[in-house]
Amino acid sequence: MTTVAQPAIAKPAAIRTVEPIDPIYRQIRDLVYKVSGIFQLEEKLYLLVDGCGRRMKQLGVKTPREYWDRLTADSNRDAELRQLLNELTIGETCLFRSPPQLDALRKVILPELVAEKSKLVLKRLRIWSAGCSTGEESYTLAMNMLEESEHLLKGWTVEILATDLNDRSVETAKAGIYGDYALRSTTDYFKRKYFSVIDEKKLQVRPEVKKLITFSRLNLQDNSKMLFMKGMDLIFCCNVLIYFDGPSKSKVVDHFYSNLNSGGYFFLGTSESLLKLNDKFHLVHFPGAIAYWKPSLKSGKL
Amino acid sequence: MTTSAIIDAKIREHVEQIETTPAIPAVFVPLLKLLNAPPEQVNLEEVVKLVSYDNTIAAQCLRVVSSPLFGLAKTPESIKGAVISLGLRRVQTILLTCCLGQVFPAKVLALDPTVFWRHSLGCAMVCRKFSEKLSGADREKAYMAGLMHDIGFLVNGLAFPNEFASAIKRAVQEQISIEEAERATMGFTHCESGRALAEKWHLGEDIVQVIAHHHALEQSEKAQPLVALVHLSDLLCRVRGLGYGYYERHKVDLVHDPAWAVLLKEYRDLEGVDLVRFTFELDEAVDNIYELVSTIFGSNPARN
Repeated sequence: MTTVAQPAIAKPAAIRTVEPIDPIYRQIRDLVYKVSGIFQLEEKLYLLVDGCGRRMKQLGVKTPREYWDRLTADSNRDAELRQLLNELTIGETCLFRSPPQLDALRKVILPELVAEKSKLVLKRLRIWSAGCSTGEESYTLAMNMLEESEHLLKGWTVEILATDLNDRSVETAKAGIYGDYALRSTTDYFKRKYFSVIDEKKLQVRPEVKKLITFSRLNLQDNSKMLFMKGMDLIFCCNVLIYFDGPSKSKVVDHFYSNLNSGGYFFLGTSESLLKLNDKFHLVHFPGAIAYWKPSLKSGKL
Repeated sequence: MTTSAIIDAKIREHVEQIETTPAIPAVFVPLLKLLNAPPEQVNLEEVVKLVSYDNTIAAQCLRVVSSPLFGLAKTPESIKGAVISLGLRRVQTILLTCCLGQVFPAKVLALDPTVFWRHSLGCAMVCRKFSEKLSGADREKAYMAGLMHDIGFLVNGLAFPNEFASAIKRAVQEQISIEEAERATMGFTHCESGRALAEKWHLGEDIVQVIAHHHALEQSEKAQPLVALVHLSDLLCRVRGLGYGYYERHKVDLVHDPAWAVLLKEYRDLEGVDLVRFTFELDEAVDNIYELVSTIFGSNPARN
């Protein structure tokens, strides 16, 4: 967070030599949010401007206004919006991508789940990384669970299911080999503890981390398979639903709701919103993170 | 006398002395009078005169309105320009913000005034933003309520410095709310002392209710929707980087808080509020609020 004290009346424009952003980009931001649920913060609006810029170049479109027409009036508008979403989420994946989510998980959610489930015979947590892509999120979760294995989760079994539609992504995920870019937010502590060195540029996740995870291919729109994903305590589905249209998204979210145990949590990407798709979930705020909670039976708020 | 009556008498005795604190700007009392006056009786010249009265405060007001939070296309160059672009009532609440900035003497307080103002101003902004989405809600009153809701910390810091310092210390150590720590250490909270000050300053019954009951909505006798609005905004601020410098709230479910139902009963359009986007927008404003607070404090020589 940039909280550097500035001279009182300093005009931002005088410090950063950027041109003012064309107001049309805020319109595009709102459109992207309405359709996909991805919200581009004002301070990250330049990412949207860059993304649109790349698309405009490829399309040979000269002005943002003209690009706006492509996104709204053109017969290919849905495809173009999808292309833009690709641009916006590209390169976002890395290990330890959202520390506030992990904090919420370890400080609030795990203690809560452990307390709630401690009376059960089977001390087991099931986590699903839905749309795991190349595995960064799944391994991050696994390492954080291992960190708790001698404390909060002592005596517990943790199972992580990681699924993706794309076979190649699943294969890459299984290998668990990452370079500097994917590891840019991983601390030395985690690198030393959970990775082996492959060469000077690449690290591989150690077998004890991999052991927690089962990778497989799954289409979230395959209704019959979705019915089998039962008994989850946590579901993470980051930047996946943004590509789905309203009815499909709604169906997947309903599945997630039934897939979760009561008292379980569902996380989206950090700047992603479920919009108004399922009113059974409770929206819960954590410091820097948001999640959707399936009310526990005893809360009586079902 | 009952215990609570003894405590109440003790608080009120101390509140009496606060008025003689030299830090209270001369413009403060007439401003409070103006804020309580019916809007149709307040005129442009009167507000301009009041804002211009104290050079330091006038300059601060202009700096405040140049913050991106106010979304003005062009920063007003004169007080009159500011009053015209922002409206009479908005300028009065901005003036109030700057005045209060002067009232809080940094040296004697256990609570870092910067942190206090980030929370108060943050809450004021959230209250106002929220009320913008609720048709018929009084935005400036919402802002004022948010700004003033924790004013009891001022009383506690000035009148009971040692007890209050232990309460703060305990709150941070045990990661509990200051309110809880105050009750345990001092036997009363900023809600009671804030109420005494608010009554003394004649802040208006609605604001008094907010100050007294923002932690216990069910006890408010009137203005429940406003108290509920402040309660929810306060919670959101505390879980979103605008709390008291440490996280004592790790999880908040606003929609299922009893205050939500109270607010919903008064304003049906609350149902349509996209709370996630609202939160994203708040996250976005946090930096601006930090900057605004350093603006209010940065130029005050009495504060180092």
